[in-house]
Amino acid sequence: MSTPLAWKNLTHNKVRTSIGVAGVGFAVILIFMQLGFLGAIQKTATQIYDALDFDLLLRSPAYLHLTEPRDFARARVYQAASLPEVSHARPFYLGLSEWQIPITSNAPLNQEASDTEDLSGQWRGIITMGTDPNDPGFTRDDICKQARQLSDPRFVLIDSESKSEYGPAQGDEFSRADIGTETALGPRRVRIVGLFKLGTGMASNGACLTNPEGYVRACPWQTINEVNFGLLKLHDPSQVEAVKAKLQHIFGIPASVSDAKSQQHHRAALLTNVDVEILTREEVNQHEERRWVVDTPLGQIFQLGVWVAVFVGVAIVYQVLSSDIANMMGEYATLKAMGHSNKFLARVVLQQSVLLAIVGYLPSLAISWVLYRIVEAESGMPMYMTKEIMALVFVLAVVICVLSGLGALRKLFQADPADLF
Amino acid sequence: MTEQTTIPATSGAFTDGMLLPRTVKVENLNHFFGEGELRKQALFSNNLEVRRGEIVIMTGPSGSGKTTLLTLIGSLRSVQEGSLLVLGNELCGADRDLIVRLRREMGFIFQAHNLFESLTAFQNVNMAAELVGLDPMIAEGRITSLLTRLGLGDRIHYKPNSLSGGQKQRVAIARGLVHKPKLILADEPTAALDEKSGREVVTLFQELARDEGCTIIMVTHDNRILDVADRIVNMVDGTIKSDVAVQETSVICEFLKDFPLFSDLTPTTLAEIADQMMVHKAEPGKTVIRQGEAGNLFYLIRSGSVDVLIDEGQSKKKVAELKQGQYFGEAALITDEPRNATIVAKEKSVFYALGKEDFRAVLATSATFEEELRQALFNR
Repeated sequence: MSTPLAWKNLTHNKVRTSIGVAGVGFAVILIFMQLGFLGAIQKTATQIYDALDFDLLLRSPAYLHLTEPRDFARARVYQAASLPEVSHARPFYLGLSEWQIPITSNAPLNQEASDTEDLSGQWRGIITMGTDPNDPGFTRDDICKQARQLSDPRFVLIDSESKSEYGPAQGDEFSRADIGTETALGPRRVRIVGLFKLGTGMASNGACLTNPEGYVRACPWQTINEVNFGLLKLHDPSQVEAVKAKLQHIFGIPASVSDAKSQQHHRAALLTNVDVEILTREEVNQHEERRWVVDTPLGQIFQLGVWVAVFVGVAIVYQVLSSDIANMMGEYATLKAMGHSNKFLARVVLQQSVLLAIVGYLPSLAISWVLYRIVEAESGMPMYMTKEIMALVFVLAVVICVLSGLGALRKLFQADPADLF
Repeated sequence: MTEQTTIPATSGAFTDGMLLPRTVKVENLNHFFGEGELRKQALFSNNLEVRRGEIVIMTGPSGSGKTTLLTLIGSLRSVQEGSLLVLGNELCGADRDLIVRLRREMGFIFQAHNLFESLTAFQNVNMAAELVGLDPMIAEGRITSLLTRLGLGDRIHYKPNSLSGGQKQRVAIARGLVHKPKLILADEPTAALDEKSGREVVTLFQELARDEGCTIIMVTHDNRILDVADRIVNMVDGTIKSDVAVQETSVICEFLKDFPLFSDLTPTTLAEIADQMMVHKAEPGKTVIRQGEAGNLFYLIRSGSVDVLIDEGQSKKKVAELKQGQYFGEAALITDEPRNATIVAKEKSVFYALGKEDFRAVLATSATFEEELRQALFNR
């Protein structure tokens, strides 16, 4: 058993080691948070789609993102329903409307939102969904059950995951206490008749659900004949590709092509010639994730954050290791004089780096887990400490420490035993 | 006749009459510091031989180059000009592997102890033991006994910051010795030590030199330990000014003192005489001097023995047998007459011979001497 010099050095100077551990820990926690946010964005990007029950989705080729979905003719949905493979074809309405923070008002429900009273409450953009209360097209039974209450266009369900800025009666969340509250959605007054729990991710801060008539009431620029999504359910989900091809044929959509240049032409052709596009769930998810992680600055900010954290970590750990080496220059030079090779010394320093990484990582993992729970509770973003994140951060922690160690090695190689005498 | 060598008697090469292998051989060694215009020569064509088991003390004012020479010998600096053989390896142009291997055969004791604060005394010493792949059980025993020997028996598992300066230095010494190096290079090893532990350290050095044939080269200004030196090398301005095998010189002086003519001489004069003597060797049966020939050398027997024969016509009569420490050949030098006897080596012998001129110069140093001498001869 050889003398564990690296470990002894680390445990000996507790102050310096604590600074090193704090440095690694700081970087690690920073990375954990960035990756957590990134994961939350990825997760929430498809949150609403995940709750919708479809094998194939019809939507406008002009679709930008969830809150800018554009519309297409409802007839396309019924056209798709004519295929024998399709078991359900549901029109679904989704758009951005405006929600007024509920204030006490005596105005009757049928009245237009009046300037005098209702505009005094603050307005917030809200995702408004419209669906058939008898066949809501959600995968989740609890939402479907609640949706049955939407028998009147004036009734809405509010997402309890909506932020407190939408004005819940009690606390930070909408609760049973809000049922019966009346407020304005777009130009009309509505009544909250129930709750559902969904969450909208980064697209919006809140969501509400009503029936198609209610949706058109809230978004008057759209008629009931223009829908945003068509949710197609197949008898046999494995036939997705075949049905997609069939529908493309029926709708006269040119077949998609692979190379980039023709893809642009294809896209242009879609936008000018047809009003609908057919996507599998996978394509939908890819599009949303790319939108939030790649196209918007959000994902880039968090990825950049990871790199910044790595650099901060390298800077701190390098300082700690190199000052440690500087303080022990004589000792290392003595080892060289005794006949230890540079390789041996390098091993000691790198061992020390990796130990620092491990010692810094473990408590940071625990702290990050607590922070995830706090962020989740505060912002409603789902923060998952996945195995992938844990492994990635650990690798990054080791990379940080080894990079710093390699930097510090230069100094070590300068240790000259000739200076000892 | 004898085989005359160019080796001075005081070089110590023939301690106990045996020619010991060289641990260090420095030849025409130059060293420079700096580059270009700032290049400054620190060592000027130095020559030095150190033999197995010798304890060499290097002295000289600071800046005289003794430390530079020590680091060159220790392979801690690369040799620029000249030749430097250490433990049989040429260091001039040596590759890294050789240097790393060579360093493991050496023990370094630096002025600064350079112990790892994070390791205990035991672990610090063990760093050196591990390096040479010593069996852990053996290493443990040796480390414990070394540290105990150096008076740290009760502090083996203490960390440096709970040891005094002298104790730390002794741990560093143990670290330099634990792997039984063939060559120990030390810089002021006893400077931080009190009289008693300093003495213990040099006694340990002596034992290593005697029992293990370990060669020790140390730079020191500590007068208390000069007595252990076999050789004292004095450097001034980058040159070895004097290189005296003190041990051998003192042996010669002891011998010379027994010579009645020299018995009143001061030790300084005796040492000067010793310095002028050269080594001669003779195989068994060889005639060292022949009766009737002109005498020009005075001989001191360093080892071996000779027969003294006097020619009586046809036959040779053995009149005496001389042994180590005894001398012959003085009469012809004093009286300027031919040799009055023949000397034949009985066995392989080594003599230290003094030239006639030098011999006479010594005699001339004191008038009383001359008188005494005549008296002595008259009484014969």
